[in-house]
Amino acid sequence: MPQALEYFLMSWTDPSLLGLIAAGTFAGIYIGALPGLSVTMAVSILISFTFTWDVNAALALMGGVFCGGVYGGSRSAILLNIPGTPAAVATAFDGYPLAKLGEAGKAIGVSTVVSVIGGYLGILVLAIAAPMVSEVALMFAPRDYLLLAIIGLLLVGSLSGDSLAKGLFAAALGVIIGMVGLDPLTAEGRFTFGLVPLLNGISYVAAMIGFFGVAEALFQIRQLGTAGVKQDVSRILPAWRTVFRFLPLSIRSSVIGVIIGALPGTGGDIAALIAYDQAKRTVTNPSRPFGQGAYEGLVAPESANNAAVGGTYIPMLTLGIPGDAVTAIMIGALFIHGLKPGPLLMVETPHLFWFIVGGLVLANSFLLVFGLTGIRLFTRVAECPRGILIPIIILLSIIGTYSIQNSMVDVYWMLAFGILGYFLKVYRFELGPIILGVILGPLMDVSFRRAILSQEGSTLGLLSDLVSHPISAALTAAAVLLVLNQTPLWRRLRRPGRVAAL
Amino acid sequence: MRRLIAGVVAGIIGMATLPAAADGFPARDLQGIIMWGPGGTTDKLARVLTPIVEEKLGRKVVLVNKAGGSGAISAQYVHARPADGYTILYGSESPQIHGVLGLSNISYKDFVALAIFADTTPTVLVRNDAPWKSLADLVAAMKAEPGKIRMGSTGPAGTAAIVGTMLKMSAGVTYADVPFEGEGPTLTALQGGHIDFTPVTYPAASELIRSGKVRVLTVVHPTPYAPLPDVPPVVADYPELAKYLPWGPFQGVFVRRDTPPDVVGALTAAYRAAAADPRFVGFVKDLGATHILVSGAEADALVTRWQSITSWLLDAAGAAKVSPASLGIPRP
Repeated sequence: MPQALEYFLMSWTDPSLLGLIAAGTFAGIYIGALPGLSVTMAVSILISFTFTWDVNAALALMGGVFCGGVYGGSRSAILLNIPGTPAAVATAFDGYPLAKLGEAGKAIGVSTVVSVIGGYLGILVLAIAAPMVSEVALMFAPRDYLLLAIIGLLLVGSLSGDSLAKGLFAAALGVIIGMVGLDPLTAEGRFTFGLVPLLNGISYVAAMIGFFGVAEALFQIRQLGTAGVKQDVSRILPAWRTVFRFLPLSIRSSVIGVIIGALPGTGGDIAALIAYDQAKRTVTNPSRPFGQGAYEGLVAPESANNAAVGGTYIPMLTLGIPGDAVTAIMIGALFIHGLKPGPLLMVETPHLFWFIVGGLVLANSFLLVFGLTGIRLFTRVAECPRGILIPIIILLSIIGTYSIQNSMVDVYWMLAFGILGYFLKVYRFELGPIILGVILGPLMDVSFRRAILSQEGSTLGLLSDLVSHPISAALTAAAVLLVLNQTPLWRRLRRPGRVAAL
Repeated sequence: MRRLIAGVVAGIIGMATLPAAADGFPARDLQGIIMWGPGGTTDKLARVLTPIVEEKLGRKVVLVNKAGGSGAISAQYVHARPADGYTILYGSESPQIHGVLGLSNISYKDFVALAIFADTTPTVLVRNDAPWKSLADLVAAMKAEPGKIRMGSTGPAGTAAIVGTMLKMSAGVTYADVPFEGEGPTLTALQGGHIDFTPVTYPAASELIRSGKVRVLTVVHPTPYAPLPDVPPVVADYPELAKYLPWGPFQGVFVRRDTPPDVVGALTAAYRAAAADPRFVGFVKDLGATHILVSGAEADALVTRWQSITSWLLDAAGAAKVSPASLGIPRP
């Protein structure tokens, strides 16, 4: 144990490691905040860059970039309605309305604090329960991923605004966008019309930037004359009272985040969406209605996506299985540095585990410092005159989209989605369900087919699996409950007095 | 940190003093297109090889991942760039079966191999608590309950499906094919017990094998495979498979075939030297792959043989959409 502590504190006492983590976290925040520049990309570039370095220095820098990047996505989501990373999609639902109300400063302050709380909780689980959690994560069968996707898609109900029909239409559109390209199971082209650029599918980041950022920018051209929203920056740091009020929700969301993060098939984006849904269903009196600037709608996804960072490290360090795209690259980095990521990594190089845990704690501490400084400057962005801001948003969206995979095709899609999104907004369609469909549709599709293929195509076999395995049964029950508790029957049963009177 | 500074300084001095290769090539930085996403075998090899190549060429090779379309996107992209040697494809075996799968007409016949530097061998794995101790046990189980045993695969043209086809043809078995996005997710599913067996390449499985979490029933190799000396090769049970073996995914770097010969020569020299560098050879070995080094005509023979075997196996399994005969691919 004293040795573990020594490795835990290694990055705290070595000035060059300390500096690398600080630099990584700082850079990560801005990489995350710029739409299109992703943590995945940054970390893969760092592999070549750190090729000749000591492995600890390389891991310190990558860990910092990872933590900073997941948090940084919330900045542009709040200020510009463009989620900087897919994990920040749910942050935009209530974060951007807050900026429109002039509370961007407070929103960034709250999201920073709950991000750090989520981050610490994720690391705590990683430190004390990694082997146990990874055993549970392995038990998730394809049918369980199917159920998770269904639970996530039920969020359409909460995101549809005033018309469920329009919400369903938007979600279905998203699912179709997500299906384009080579089917991952059969390598058969779907909706590709024989065109090679479509084989690769439509990048969901391009869809996200188009439907959120560009559509909103185009929409604002209608009010070009009006001035930017004056932002209230008198109180940036959230009061202790506020933090304590949100703490239970933040902890609940972090638990969701760390578990979904630890599952090899899902990451921070899905964690944040499910946490948002959970908040919307469980918080009875939010500060404002959800979708119109509820702080609860910011707390849940921001806690969850940062907790998911700790979660994604769990399968990577215990089993050598990546928890998401970023940890997949880190596993590559470990290989390149002569380590052997796999089930024996923690047995043969236990110091590495404690070094990473220590580095992550440090990165989250830097996050608090960097996140809370410079907010005043940032909120100015939302105060910019629209005539200046809108062209910048469109330009940033184009550069960001191009840099996803250096493809102009993605840029054309993004612009087309921006224009389509504008008209959908004009006709009062909500755009959130589209992204939900793009992210969850493909997961539901492949999981369903895998689950039923495992049962030789027997529907009955799949249905019996759904109730006979403990994890599946729990998830099935959750999905059924989520539907039932929206029905009039449920509401009547919930009021025993009324029932007795009848 | 000191090593880093020393490295950067050495790099700058090196770049300033190294003479440029043949006829001023390369006159500017190059671009390396990686066929698959970050973190995969092709990506890892590219990122270890390239810094060494840069030392030899005296220029940067900027790496970009262009995954997608089973590898067709990257091959198409490099093929559409000018044939000047400034765009280099870091690829694996996939383009050789794009023809029979009807994905794309571009294959390695349109490229010249600067170097093929790694070859991998498939293994057949089950969980360590599975009742089957040998390939014969597994085959018997598949025969007892046709279609019940679940095989994890990586899609209809992946390594697993090809090895599965070899078993189907020689042992006459059937199984439930459950496809995943790659070898990593397949191995995860195997550990969770969501599939019963899976054929994967040795590099992907080496750490799991070493930890004892999985059992290797056979190696798809004509002779006992050096890293796994105690595992019987598949030809011990099915000698008729010998004509297809050794068979396995390979990794290499390619440029357009119509690139000027002196440019190909300069690039080949640099990539061969880098691929023979002890740092790279050691990495290939650590990865669990077999280090080989062939270029030009020798490489053409290797990729053509691979294409012939795989295309006809896919055709026999009914997975080919375009007949290999119509594409002029000879029978193995």
